[in-house]
Amino acid sequence: MQDFRNRLVIATVILGIAFLGLVSRLWFLQVLKGDEFEAFSRDNRIRIERVPASRGRILDRYGRELVVNRPSFDVYVLPKDASDVSALSVNLSRVLSEDPKKIEQKIKLASKKNRFKPVLLAQDIDRDQLAYIEARRSSLPGLTIEVNNLRQYPHGLLGASFLGYIGKVSEADLLATPELNSNGLVGKTGVEKTWEGSLRGQDGFLQKVTDALGREVNSNLFQKDLVNRQSVPGNDVVMSIDIDLQKAAEDVLGEEFGAIIAVNVRNGEVLALASKPSFDPADFVKGIDSKTWSKLINDKDFPLVSRATQGLYAPGSVFKMVPSAAAMKEGVIHPDTLVHCPGYYRLGSHVYRCWKKGGHGWMNMREAIVQSCDVYFYRLAEKLGIDRMSRYMNFFGFGSPTGIGIEERAGVAPSREWKLEKFKKPWYKGETIVSGIGQGYVSVTPLQIAMMTAAIANDGTLLTPNLVIKEVAFSGQTRMNILPPRGELPVGKDALALIRDAMTGVVNGPGGTGRGARIENISVAGKTGTAQVVSLDFQSSDKAHKDHAWFTSFAPSEAPEIAVTVLVEHGGKGGAVAAPLAKKIIETYFHLKKERKANDNV
Amino acid sequence: MIMFDRRLLQSFGWSLFLMTLAFTALSLMNLYSASYQTGLGYFKKQAMWVCIGIFAMIVVSFINNKLIKQYALYIYGFSLLLLLFVLVFGKEVSGSQSWITIGSFATIQPSELAKIPIILAIARFYDNDYEGVPYGLLDLIKPVLLTALPLGLVMLQPDLGTSLTMILISGSMILFMGVERKLIFLVLAVVIGFSYPAWHFFLKPYQKDRIKTFLEPSKDPLDSGYNAIQSRIAVGSGRLMGKGFMSGSQTQLRFIPAQQTDFAFSVLAEEWGFMGGFMALLLYFMIILWILDTASRAKDKFSVLTCFGIAAMYFWHVVVNVGMVIGLLPIAGVPLMLLSYGGSSTLTALIGIGIVLGIRMRKFPIQGPAVELR
Repeated sequence: MQDFRNRLVIATVILGIAFLGLVSRLWFLQVLKGDEFEAFSRDNRIRIERVPASRGRILDRYGRELVVNRPSFDVYVLPKDASDVSALSVNLSRVLSEDPKKIEQKIKLASKKNRFKPVLLAQDIDRDQLAYIEARRSSLPGLTIEVNNLRQYPHGLLGASFLGYIGKVSEADLLATPELNSNGLVGKTGVEKTWEGSLRGQDGFLQKVTDALGREVNSNLFQKDLVNRQSVPGNDVVMSIDIDLQKAAEDVLGEEFGAIIAVNVRNGEVLALASKPSFDPADFVKGIDSKTWSKLINDKDFPLVSRATQGLYAPGSVFKMVPSAAAMKEGVIHPDTLVHCPGYYRLGSHVYRCWKKGGHGWMNMREAIVQSCDVYFYRLAEKLGIDRMSRYMNFFGFGSPTGIGIEERAGVAPSREWKLEKFKKPWYKGETIVSGIGQGYVSVTPLQIAMMTAAIANDGTLLTPNLVIKEVAFSGQTRMNILPPRGELPVGKDALALIRDAMTGVVNGPGGTGRGARIENISVAGKTGTAQVVSLDFQSSDKAHKDHAWFTSFAPSEAPEIAVTVLVEHGGKGGAVAAPLAKKIIETYFHLKKERKANDNV
Repeated sequence: MIMFDRRLLQSFGWSLFLMTLAFTALSLMNLYSASYQTGLGYFKKQAMWVCIGIFAMIVVSFINNKLIKQYALYIYGFSLLLLLFVLVFGKEVSGSQSWITIGSFATIQPSELAKIPIILAIARFYDNDYEGVPYGLLDLIKPVLLTALPLGLVMLQPDLGTSLTMILISGSMILFMGVERKLIFLVLAVVIGFSYPAWHFFLKPYQKDRIKTFLEPSKDPLDSGYNAIQSRIAVGSGRLMGKGFMSGSQTQLRFIPAQQTDFAFSVLAEEWGFMGGFMALLLYFMIILWILDTASRAKDKFSVLTCFGIAAMYFWHVVVNVGMVIGLLPIAGVPLMLLSYGGSSTLTALIGIGIVLGIRMRKFPIQGPAVELR
């Protein structure tokens, strides 16, 4: 018999070492890394269901709904939990009337990318479809139905250009705002975009315990450490827009392309901001399909571009108030000084024509504005020079954005530096001359003209146009949105009074170019403009070469409340085409005001 | 046949007996938590097997080990017959034809039951053999053959896990008896030389996947890596004190695969934490230590080697199974003796203890001259 004691000792040592190894590993996993693994096990068993916050409404100044929500039942599949994709696809294909293979492919494709991201299979299903799916949901793991909100537009296309549209959250949106729901919708333009942060609210979530197959477990065992968060609805945004006036503005524009803007001259609140052509925001509520989208962006009429804030035009004669104010302030001409208009203006060898072939004869400043004499302003521009001219353009807000808070363009207030940078060429004197009548390089948005008009009307304050008066939280808490003015015009009060008087003459005086805007009982002040698209010598009947018709106005002239600016693209003469439209808006404004007052008294 | 002697009862190994009983209770409790949600079927069946096993353990402990030695080769032969039988008439479960159905409810797994017969046969071989010099290649033909016959039949089922434990148990016993040093090198050379063709020709794709997954589990977290990852999460998330009985989320929500059988230790470690896992390992350690202690007191070579074989059987099951559960070794279908659900495994574990208890009861000093280890 051998002595096995030594070998047994060796065996015992090996046993000890092996068990020490196992225990060390156990210590490592459970004690050193325990918290980490506990987090993994939480992730395993807890599924987070998003509770979407309802997006805030957009209301007009009197609380009437411009944009609201309606519920949409959407079908999602979470690939992680979908244990039987083919059964799921067959079941869904019956109710969604789609090819089961297509559904299966869609799920599998998405699953390859990210198993934890729900795949949207159908949006806005109807009651019958909802009932069918709800009845089978428990037997088809991975299938969920989410209630999402879809935007709805009670007024249809009205105001689409400033309300903007919403769209699917893009990678770029997510990068900029990580808290967005990657499956959700986000404001892409207009007020929907600018006020996204207020409108969106805060999504809530429900934590649910699920087993290894992704089925929800309702036993009390693991419920205690679940955290739920209620969703916080987005704030309602109350706009300065009066939807009745907005409707009037869009109606009077009719089929014409152009813009109509109505602004409160005392506080800059925008009452109407019409732009045509426009688009139907309802096309975007579920995320726009590529066909409609490409049709919209390839449309030569640019329906997605808001004429009122993004359209750039030569202002033509509505611009004449700028050199008038500059000349009086700079003292280059006395308003009573008479300038002779023979129908043309000569600078060196070049001749600049007045719109009135025979000429206006002797003109002082007031008459020059009333009759819109070009020669007078050629003279003024020459005397001022481009440097002073461009400084005053800046004072009136040209060449920079108004700050309205939606997409807009700055336009051009030309100067020597600007031209040198843009064209690498020096400034020519002739370019100063045409700047005097709002032609040449000068380009403005209709909104800029409206704000210039408001500044003249309110005796010199260049206001920031304000689209949103306040936002109202679900709790009722209200935050006012007050925008500080952009500045004071460095122009004498008497100069502004003269301009206002002249503008009153444009509408009411003999020889005024804007008599089409005359209203009984209310004194309207205004200025017409006919912006050339091509040179005066160029004769064409093509609509694309027709002049843009401008009219900008305020009323009542003695105590101004509202400024109205009208631009009709290729409309022709401002006095004939644009002034009557402004008249209708002003009439509507005062009519609505009276009606409201009467209702208030009742 | 069974000697009823007062001295026997006095020297009965109560501590091993009680440790074993404690472990069976622990295993039933653990199984209850892992399976009660799907009904008490598993629990009842296992409780029945535990009762049968304890009865068998007691009966075996009273059998004189001389009698066992005498019948060792018959037992071995019967076990081979069972292995042949299962290949012809066995029930196939998840790709392996390893089960024989008895009656309408019970199934037995001959490959599990073959482990003790192999140990007895090898012990019997060495008991008769010349002693003194280390064994060379030719001397080992018999014990290798005694292992290879059942091993081959098990591999035909195929059952990789059981084959592996058989090799480990026999190998341990052969090494324990001493082999020539050059033979060790030869075996190592052959193993390394064959591992390449084995990888390419013999291993099934799922077996290769398991090994690949072990080396890099995060590469395939859904399919073959899933078990390894979920088991590790279960164990780790138990932390120091565990999540509590019947409160392990990985267990109760069925994230742990095969949680009644191969991954029973994950359940234990999740619900009872490091304290529970450590206590279970300590209990195993003491049981094995106790068996080795019995070996050192046994009166004949057959008893020494039988004890050592049974200790090796426990040792390898614990190391391979727990090593797999806690991510130290690749996934292999090796149950954890005394803890995993399974009649044959439980029976084997308890009969093994019974044999050791029998040897313990007849303790006499080891006779014969001391031999130096080379």
